[in-house]
This record gives sequence, C-alpha cells and structure tokens, in this order.
Amino acid sequence: MYIIETKQLTKSYGNFAAVSGVDLHIPKGAVYGFLGPNGAGKSTTMKMFLGLAKPTGGSFTIDGKKYPENRVEILKEVGSFIEAPAFYGNLTGKENLEIVGRILGLPKSAALEALELVGLTPYKDRLARKYSLGMKQRLGLASALIGRPPILILDEPTNGLDPVGIHEIRTLIRSLPKQFDCTVLVSSHLLSEVELMADHIGILNHGHLLFEGTLEQLKAHAENQGYPTDNLEDTFLAVIDADNRQRGGIR
Amino acid sequence: MKTQSLSGSDRYPVHDSTSRRGGYGLKPGLEYKKIKRTGLLPAFVCCGLLAAAFPVADMAVRSERYLSLPDSPVSILLHADWQMMSMLNVLLLVVAACILYHTEVSDNALLKMCSLPLKESSLFFSKILLLIPMLIFTLALEAAALGFCCWHWLSFSPEALTELAYSMGFSLLLLLPAALLSLLLACACKNMWISLGIGVVCIFTATMLPADNFLLSLFPYAMPFQILAGMQKETITGFSTAAALESLGLCAAEIIFLKIRRWSA
Repeated sequence: MYIIETKQLTKSYGNFAAVSGVDLHIPKGAVYGFLGPNGAGKSTTMKMFLGLAKPTGGSFTIDGKKYPENRVEILKEVGSFIEAPAFYGNLTGKENLEIVGRILGLPKSAALEALELVGLTPYKDRLARKYSLGMKQRLGLASALIGRPPILILDEPTNGLDPVGIHEIRTLIRSLPKQFDCTVLVSSHLLSEVELMADHIGILNHGHLLFEGTLEQLKAHAENQGYPTDNLEDTFLAVIDADNRQRGGIR
Repeated sequence: MKTQSLSGSDRYPVHDSTSRRGGYGLKPGLEYKKIKRTGLLPAFVCCGLLAAAFPVADMAVRSERYLSLPDSPVSILLHADWQMMSMLNVLLLVVAACILYHTEVSDNALLKMCSLPLKESSLFFSKILLLIPMLIFTLALEAAALGFCCWHWLSFSPEALTELAYSMGFSLLLLLPAALLSLLLACACKNMWISLGIGVVCIFTATMLPADNFLLSLFPYAMPFQILAGMQKETITGFSTAAALESLGLCAAEIIFLKIRRWSA
C-alpha cells in the first residue's frame, strides 16, 4: 500500500518545468530517500505535498486523501521540515513547540517530548534566535516530529549539523518507522547518509523521476546499465550524468 | 538524543485521529503568545499613556482657553486634542501590524504555519482579534484622561461620561479599517520597513486631506481623525456605514490576496 502516490505530478513556472510528470509511490512504513542535484525539483515536490505550491498538472494522494480537497486533513497527518528551520525567534524552543502543539491540538507534554527526542531539553528555555545552526535544525525537526505524525516530510534535515548531529539525526530517522509506525520522505545531498537510512530511493533530475525502487533494485538497474555499483554516490552520479548527456549536456 | 521508546507514549494515542486535531479556528490566544518579547504590549501601554497625557498637559498649560467655550466638555477636549491623540493611535496601529507580521516572517515561522492544518486567513483574523482588545485598552486610557480633564477643569456629569463612551466607541469603529489595512499591508510585504513606510506615508497623506470633504475623509487612515461630538446624525451614519463596509471589503481583500499568493507560489 502506498501512503503517498503521485500521478503525473507537474509544477511549471512559466516555461520552466520544475517538476515534470512525476509518478511517485511511497510505501507505508518506509524511509524514502529523495535524491537529486540542486534544482532537480525535490523541494518543489515536497512543497506541493504540503500545499505550499500549487501543482500545475497531475495529482497526488496522501494516505488516501486527495489534494486540494483534503488539504487540512492531509496536513493533520504530516509533520514537515522544509528548506530551513522555521520558528519564532522571540520565543524559546519550548514556546515554539507549544504553539505548534496548540495548533495541532496536542497536550502540553508533547512539546517537551519532542524536545527530548531531538536532544534539546537542556536548551528548552533559550530563545530560538540564540540557538546555534545545529540547534535550530533540531528545533525544526522537533516541530515536525511533535504529535508523532504518521507521515514525515523532511527536506535536507541534516544541513548545518556536525558529524555527531548527523549521526544522531540519521539514527533517529531510521528508528522512526519502528518507533512511531510512520513513513518518512527525506531528501538529502549526503548520499552516504541516504544509503544508510533509506530503504527506498527516488532519483530526480531536471524535474523528471529517473529511478524509483529499493536500494537493491537500484543496484540491479545500475548493473544493467553498466553504471558503477560500489556505492550510492557513484551510482547516483552515473545516473544523473547519463540523463544530462541524454538531454544534450544540460547540467 | 533519545531514539528508544518514549516513556510518555501513553500520554496520547499514536496516529489517533484525535491526537493531531488542528483546524480552521481563530486563535487570538495563540497570537498573544507569539508577541512575547516583541515589545508590542509595552508599546500599546506607552502610546496609550502618551496620548492620554496630551489632553492633561494641554489643559494644565492653557485651560483658560477652553473654559469659556459654549460646547460640552467632551466636545471641547476632543476638538482641542483628538487630532494628536488619533495620530498616535493610527501610528501605533501601523507599528503593531508591522511587528505582528515581522515575527511571522523574520525567522520563517510563516512557512511553518502554512504547513500546519490551519487556514492562513485565520492568522490574519486572529491578529485583528488580538489588536482590538489592545486598542480598546488604549482608548480606555485616553478616555480616562479625558474624563479626568472634564472633572478637574471643566464640568463632569453622567452625560459627559456617556458622550465620552460613545465617542470612544465611534473612534474604535473608525480605527478598524486602518487596523485591517495596516495588517493587510504588513501581510503583503515581507520586508517590515516597506509596510511601515507605506503606513507612515498613508498617515501623513491622511493628515493633509481636507477634513470637510466627506469622500476624502473615508480614506481608512483619515477616518480615525473624525470626532463624534458635534457631528450630524447622517454624517455619523455615513462614517459608521463606510467603516463597516471598508472593514468587510478589506477582510475580503485579504482572503483573495492570500488565495492568489498561495496559488501563484
């Protein structure tokens, strides 16, 4: 069963197609790694799932609910972290999460629980604008995790984190499907990280979905095409390079 | 960082439809939480006190100018000082609207709000619902000062109190379009300085409009300068109707603006 499914999802800005006819199939309970170079359309796709950008073509369903008819119902089930940490700088970390919790109709304890989950409890009373970049990133993650949503959409969640922080977030994301029975859609530039945390992969380039499947299927596909299969990074680069050459050298 | 099962997992059910409710409702209480440490509340208190101090200072310095006038005490005071007091009120509104949206935009919080099960327009309406009690508080301070001036220098009677209450109610109604327009501008401009600049220009434009021209006085930033005392009944009805219609029109404009912005994103 697919918890997120898109059909020919398209987003164009004038003549430029940021996302072009993408058919995604994200299984329930999976950690789905969304890969692609800058400008491939990963963030735009995620924004469309959250109703932050309007699709210009195609459709998608999340947990069987269709967009845009069920936008609010969809958002009730989705925890998200898009682009950069978003917070009220004049409020403490705890106050920020209490606001999100109140909008979601959660008990006050949910904010503390989310802070604990990302390791921000000792800094809960510090103003969010005084947080370091890594702490802001964790606060953003906490606001996505609060209330244990069944679906998590995380756009570059490890940006700005140190290696220890990256390891912690990766372990956390990897554990989420088991812990909270949730599905995670995560985009990252760190291919080695995706290799370690995702069990399904989608590769996007110039708005087109080049591959979708498990890591094993990607390896098999790469072997078939004669691409290197030593690690995800080499395979990814080969897939992207081949697509770019096919498009006449557009990078 | 904890990755093991949480001790509080029994506090609310995981993935129960009731665990993450959210919804469309207006949440002025939430908006009140958001303005913590922004200086907005002190700004309202200070501005209210400053505006309230104006008639007191005026009467303390030159009360003999007003003692012989034939009008009612409230009318005398309002005609003497309301222009300055309302100027402060409108300026406060513009600043408040800028601060309210600056907190949303400065650290990207608005993006988070838009990805929550919440209508973006409810943010706007919650903010206006937060502004109204703060405006009432400011007007109450000003009314108290005017009442004090009546009692101390002129003559204070129950009629004066009623007249004062009506005047403040009328002023609140006429301030609504300016409050809504300021919030609409603040919502539209991501850079606080642009909405602040437009607001200040609008206020100064309003002060330059001829007061005897009814149509020009309907400019949202010009209406709060009107004084109820001594105004003819049909003019009162005209201003009240215009304020209500402008308010409704600005609410509709905000909803349309948000829809266009969302769909063009």
